[in-house]
Amino acid sequence: MMKRYLDLVPISARVRKRQSRMTRICIILAVSLVTVIFGMADMEVQSQKLGALQTDGGWHAMFSSIDEEQAALISARPQVKNSSWYGVTNYRLDIEYSIDGIQTAICGFDEEFMEMFPAARLIEGSFPTGTDEVALMASAKERLNLQIGDSIQLSTPDCKDITFTIAGFTEDTSLLTKADALGIIMNIATYSKYILKDSQSENLAYYVEFSPYCRIRPILTDIREQLNLSEKQVQENIKLLGLMGQSDDSYIFSLYRSAAILMVLVVIAGVLMIAGSLNSNVVQRTQFFGMLRCLGASKKQIIRVVRLEALNWCKTAIPIGIIVGTFVIWVLCELLKVLSPGYFESLPALGISLPGIFAGVCVGIVTVLLSALSPAKRAARVSPLTAVSGNVDSEQLAKKEAKTRFLRVETALGIHHAISSKKNFILMVGSFAFSIILFLSFTPAVDFLNHAIRPLRPYTPDISIVSADNTCSVSAQLLKQLEENPAVKRLYGRKFAYKVPATVNGQQVVVNLISYEKYQFAWAKEELLEGDIEDGKSGSGVLTVYDAASPLQLGSALTLNLGTGEQQLTVAGVLSNSPFSPVEGEEIVICSEEMFRQFTGETGYTILDIQLNRDTANAEVADIRELAGENVTFSDRRMQNAEARGAYYSFAVFIYGFLAVIALIAVFNIINSIGMSVSARLKQYGAMRAIGMSNRQAIRMIKAETFTYILFGVIVGGVIGLTINKLLFEKMVTMKWGTPWYVPLVSISIIVLVTALSSIAAVYYPAKRIRKLSIVDTIVEY
Amino acid sequence: MNILNVKNLCKTYGRGATQVNALKDVSFTLDKGEFTAVVGESGSGKSTLLNCIGGLDNPTSGKIYLAGEDLFDMNENKRTIFRRQNIGFVFQSFQLVSELTVEQNIIFPVLLDYRKPDKDELEEMLEVLGLTDRRYHLPGQLSGGQQQRVAIGRALITKPMLVLADEPTGNLDSKNSQDVMDLLYRASRHYQQTVLMITHNMNLTACVDRVLHVADGVLSDFGGART
Repeated sequence: MMKRYLDLVPISARVRKRQSRMTRICIILAVSLVTVIFGMADMEVQSQKLGALQTDGGWHAMFSSIDEEQAALISARPQVKNSSWYGVTNYRLDIEYSIDGIQTAICGFDEEFMEMFPAARLIEGSFPTGTDEVALMASAKERLNLQIGDSIQLSTPDCKDITFTIAGFTEDTSLLTKADALGIIMNIATYSKYILKDSQSENLAYYVEFSPYCRIRPILTDIREQLNLSEKQVQENIKLLGLMGQSDDSYIFSLYRSAAILMVLVVIAGVLMIAGSLNSNVVQRTQFFGMLRCLGASKKQIIRVVRLEALNWCKTAIPIGIIVGTFVIWVLCELLKVLSPGYFESLPALGISLPGIFAGVCVGIVTVLLSALSPAKRAARVSPLTAVSGNVDSEQLAKKEAKTRFLRVETALGIHHAISSKKNFILMVGSFAFSIILFLSFTPAVDFLNHAIRPLRPYTPDISIVSADNTCSVSAQLLKQLEENPAVKRLYGRKFAYKVPATVNGQQVVVNLISYEKYQFAWAKEELLEGDIEDGKSGSGVLTVYDAASPLQLGSALTLNLGTGEQQLTVAGVLSNSPFSPVEGEEIVICSEEMFRQFTGETGYTILDIQLNRDTANAEVADIRELAGENVTFSDRRMQNAEARGAYYSFAVFIYGFLAVIALIAVFNIINSIGMSVSARLKQYGAMRAIGMSNRQAIRMIKAETFTYILFGVIVGGVIGLTINKLLFEKMVTMKWGTPWYVPLVSISIIVLVTALSSIAAVYYPAKRIRKLSIVDTIVEY
Repeated sequence: MNILNVKNLCKTYGRGATQVNALKDVSFTLDKGEFTAVVGESGSGKSTLLNCIGGLDNPTSGKIYLAGEDLFDMNENKRTIFRRQNIGFVFQSFQLVSELTVEQNIIFPVLLDYRKPDKDELEEMLEVLGLTDRRYHLPGQLSGGQQQRVAIGRALITKPMLVLADEPTGNLDSKNSQDVMDLLYRASRHYQQTVLMITHNMNLTACVDRVLHVADGVLSDFGGART
């Protein structure tokens, strides 16, 4: 039994389920998009947090130059979860601490500190609690062939040897593996006893981690006042506090702010989409509303009916949108894990993002209420006469005739349908252009990404074997042996001859001569500004790196004064960039290995770079280290590379994800709008079919209408989008890195292609509908 | 000469308990230039009959021949073109294209055929319809009677063999109704077109050649009204 007039809404919704399908899809889309955007921002924060925990640790504040008593007062506070002294010596590897001749950094802290520094996790044994016990970083275990319980000797700068017993092994840190150094950890008592005395209390500080959910900054101010500490004595872990939303200078706020801006854009796109579909829904039911008015419904009641109808759709559409959005987040998380396994290992597998869900629900309701505003008013305006007279409201009557003289009649009618109503035309073109504008406005973020976070270059090695004295002392024999190693994917060496005196056009210069092989020549091709790489490769010329101040140019004749005599060379190519940092007054000249050998007589290498196969085990790397011997510097960059890759991918997924989302909005918007437009005119199409228009002609009419919207949408969107693109590019990229703006042809092509394909898809369903159209049903008066 | 031949036409809607037999074994023929009215109660099957003859609706069984051609032996596309060239429609609710002027609406079927409309024929049609001074008006600017005259002009412009009119005067006052009847009568006499008209109004059957009566899907021939 109906108890009130609004009970009509669910009853009528059941009957009109198919009609409202597209509107519900729009709501689902908007909700899932926002869930994904916020979920992705949340994920980004989570992964940044993980990164921050790994690199900087989980401490919140650090107090320096305080005494034991002050430390005790701090740790006695109820909000303090963990606290520990922490000291580090030889962090920069510039003091002569070593084990077995290998540079060693020394950390001293209590076991509690491990809680605050997950990177220092114990992987074997226990924390060194005894006075003569230490823990070593894992790489030392294989390198020095050590076991728990073994003794090691630490050589100090004053030529003393201190013997320690190994209590455990901890994770490596990327900084130390890259520098090929060792790290040892001892408790604070041992550290104070043996090390602190030697290094004049260097960097001994008190680290504190507070309980979750307490407001850290006021506590710090309080501590400062109570203990009379200066600003300098209290240092915050800015990055972590920022990620926790507890800092002014906060990364998280800018991230959530951009998510909020994106949300507003999605809301606008959503409102455009949903309002369009609601509008046409209302137009199709003009007589229904007229009937309600006829029966005595007030305008306000009609508005309530339309609004409630819209809100009713939210009941199913919002949960579905959130489920879809969460699923997309899971897929993206898995993608990140596949792309960069080490870095994102600890991302939650099936995590739920509460900010994402909250934003999704809000956006769903707000969008629907905003979208319902204009259609509700429109429905309320329907005259009660409509129901009696059967006349559609005057807005549907044409005011201008179609121009049928120059085009086929169906094409002319299609174009006329598109442009006859100014309001509709502006709305349609506006909504199509909006996606294009959004897409083009967002593409400078990709350039920003590529400038701000450099992706790994193709030539980035996993391991470098470098001559200890920067000469060509790495033997060619080693290269041959390494080539046979199954773990090695790519191997490429360089020979360096530093500061070779030379003359260019009579001018004295200093040259750093470097040899390349096939891989490096191939990569250099990407950087070639002018000339020919092949000439350098074959040995008929050399390459140089562009420098406005350099006398070396394409075709320059260069005379090298080597110990073996003078050598004449020609510059055959100029590169825009190289892996070597430029040094003022020194020119970079790149030649083939053969040429280098002829000039210098050197057969060895200065550096061997190795790229490893995926899934290379640590034991295999240890084998390579052993093969390389002790007279070289062995630099293991795998961890650092993984971190760089991780940072790049997480940002890239966010940016490309949003670009994909915008493209998706465009696709749905176009399909939806055309579908709606056809629905609104279905009766008219039926009448035309009745008087002899063929299916093909009717479909051509829809195509002409669609094409008109798309054409104007692309023009308007392109012009405005490019203007904003240029503006943002100059603000985000040119101002910071000087790269000039370029016409983003790829982005334009992508969005135009997406638009074109969607318009083809958009015509598909109406065409199918027209083919199935029952002429009798459409022309019968209801 | 026999133009339309309807043989054992049946049309059924629904299934089982909800099955409705809208047309039951209907057979009749119409001659060239014959003006026939179909009368019957609401829901008797008149409109279904007209829609089937016009090729807008598929019969469940039976055959319809127009000028010897089996209407439902053709594919959808061919039938559309055949309809466009040989059958004119007039609806109760006019069904004009709102964005086309009077003139454009009338020549619309010719344009759909990608032919060039004959200027003299159009002038003559406008003259006969009494719409010469309204030729550039849009349907929204016309009265109901004028709109129905445009619809008749559109139905006649291709000189179809058969003109089907479904309650053409249903939305009109008596003066306009008479005008429409005169036009249809003129089509059958002047242009020798066969006209089949559905009507509720028994008064209108006074000027037709023959009256068919439909009741519960069964057709009976009442013979000539004029005679």
